[in-house]
Amino acid sequence: MGIGEGTGFVLLALLGGALLTHGLERWVGPPERGPALPVSLSCGTVLPNADRWLFPAGPIVGFMGVLLGTVVLPFGPDLVARDLGIGVFYFIVVIDFVVLGVALTGWGANTPGAVESCYRIVAQLVAYVVPLGLAYVGAIMMAHSLSTTRIVEAQSGLWFIVLQPIGFALYVVSGLMQSYRHPFLEPFADGIGGGILSVVGGWSALLWRIALAGVLFLVAAMGAVLFLGGWSGPWLPPPVWMAVKTYALMALMLWLGRLARPLSTAEMLALSWRVLIPVGLANVLVVGILILLHVGPG
Amino acid sequence: MSVAGIVEIIAFASSAFIAVAGALGMATTMSMFRSAIFLMASFMGVAGLFILLSADLLGLLQILMYIGGMLVMALFMVLFMPDPGGAMMAAMPEMMTPIGRFFSLGLLPENSHAAAAEMSGAHAEHDTHADHGGGHGTHARHQDAEHQRGRERKEGDDAHGGGDHHAHGAQGGSHGMGHMDMSDMSMVTPVRAWAAWLAVATGCVIVGLLVLRPSWPVSSALPDPRSADQVGSLLMDKYMVGFEAAGFLILIGIVGAVLAAHSGQHPDHRDREARVAVNAPPPPIEADFLEPLSQPLRDDDKCSPAPDGGHANHHAGGEGPT
Repeated sequence: MGIGEGTGFVLLALLGGALLTHGLERWVGPPERGPALPVSLSCGTVLPNADRWLFPAGPIVGFMGVLLGTVVLPFGPDLVARDLGIGVFYFIVVIDFVVLGVALTGWGANTPGAVESCYRIVAQLVAYVVPLGLAYVGAIMMAHSLSTTRIVEAQSGLWFIVLQPIGFALYVVSGLMQSYRHPFLEPFADGIGGGILSVVGGWSALLWRIALAGVLFLVAAMGAVLFLGGWSGPWLPPPVWMAVKTYALMALMLWLGRLARPLSTAEMLALSWRVLIPVGLANVLVVGILILLHVGPG
Repeated sequence: MSVAGIVEIIAFASSAFIAVAGALGMATTMSMFRSAIFLMASFMGVAGLFILLSADLLGLLQILMYIGGMLVMALFMVLFMPDPGGAMMAAMPEMMTPIGRFFSLGLLPENSHAAAAEMSGAHAEHDTHADHGGGHGTHARHQDAEHQRGRERKEGDDAHGGGDHHAHGAQGGSHGMGHMDMSDMSMVTPVRAWAAWLAVATGCVIVGLLVLRPSWPVSSALPDPRSADQVGSLLMDKYMVGFEAAGFLILIGIVGAVLAAHSGQHPDHRDREARVAVNAPPPPIEADFLEPLSQPLRDDDKCSPAPDGGHANHHAGGEGPT
């Protein structure tokens, strides 16, 4: 796939995914709070005290992170923009640009709610990044590869959700934390006026809308790749299977997230250190034992 | 020249430019937060160079380290520095070099005269938080008054000023804007000129070495696309003892930090409990199957109920410049 086709494919995947994600947030049940707060696309904001370099950089950096993350998502055996050898690791890294973008926008906007949003999202990054990595490690160990297509091919016999249900549960929780959805929407909480969403308008609101919907889409798509067998499935063409699994996982995550009450940042950190990280380490241990017992793909 | 070659040259030039310009901006800008971001950009430029050299794992590792690590570091710096946003220093362009002036563009509020009037008024008028985050926090409050949307914004303001408050308390409670030691609150240090000349000299020496020693060994071997595998094998095989020992050391550091920061070990300032991580309980959900909380999230009741009460008092002094 050439550079032009790849860029077009990535943009198309991201925009389509973000649009459908936005719809899913609206249509299923009561509207989501947090990142799905409505923002005004038709009018800008006047921030006389903004840092006029950092503030406009924020949405661009956040959008860029989501755009880069789409590159390694496989929608079919050959339908991947770039099958990097270290694809999953690349994905983990570039998604962090969303946090950087929120921090830039929040600090740059220089309003109390936005600056608080910056603080909270960095604390949330500290909370989710280790358990999320441990959830990835289980799938990587079984597939013997960091490449997303190799991970999907390794699940041709049995999906990893069957072999590592603990890892899947861990991924759902920490993935929700990474996409800032319901129980973990502290950076965009109502108490601070939606955080950075209270200061964006016009083009920056559009970019944040796509980026925040795109994060949920990417997290669900990567979950489908890691645990649900990606594009593989009978009868239907591969991209359809990938989309079905992605949106099923997304609906599951949004639904499960609404069963819990919103957690504060401190509670998120406590949850991460007291529950998620030990569970993740136990999952890695179990997966290691399974591999030694020759369970799963050879 | 092929398209790939041109793309490679463009990628190299932009990476190198980001690395150098980021370093320059880091050393000269007046905003501490912007400085951290510039440093991050500089490291990302270096990561781009790594990726161009086919060391993609190393480049990505560098980006991973510096996004998370640098942001956390920037937040700690914001807690301890009086003027993290740099708006106050940017108002004094005569103290800056031309490069610093360029990298501090856009820091000054657009209505800087009104803000300066408010700053001086606020300073003369109240004593509890004249130090509201230096320029940054003061302007935030000013802006808040202008763009009041009827939302709760007090927590953010409070968190912004909170750290600065304690920094000043540690310095003996002198929180006047005007009579503060300037060298404490900016990158302006007496040795800056020396440091700049030293940097220029070092750069000259390095470039001179590159130019005067033309016989660099050039290998025609292609880089291995499976370098990540090899790094992993080396870490878990040849260098396993060192790798695990480093991990163990970090673990000891974490345990030590947790023990040192354990609440109750060190009697804190009374305000600190109240200001750090003040969180009003989040709004209840309608379709919630779980039992409600049997007790408030924090047991000191002076911050959990009615987030309006305490903060409104706290802000009353600052909002009315007279």
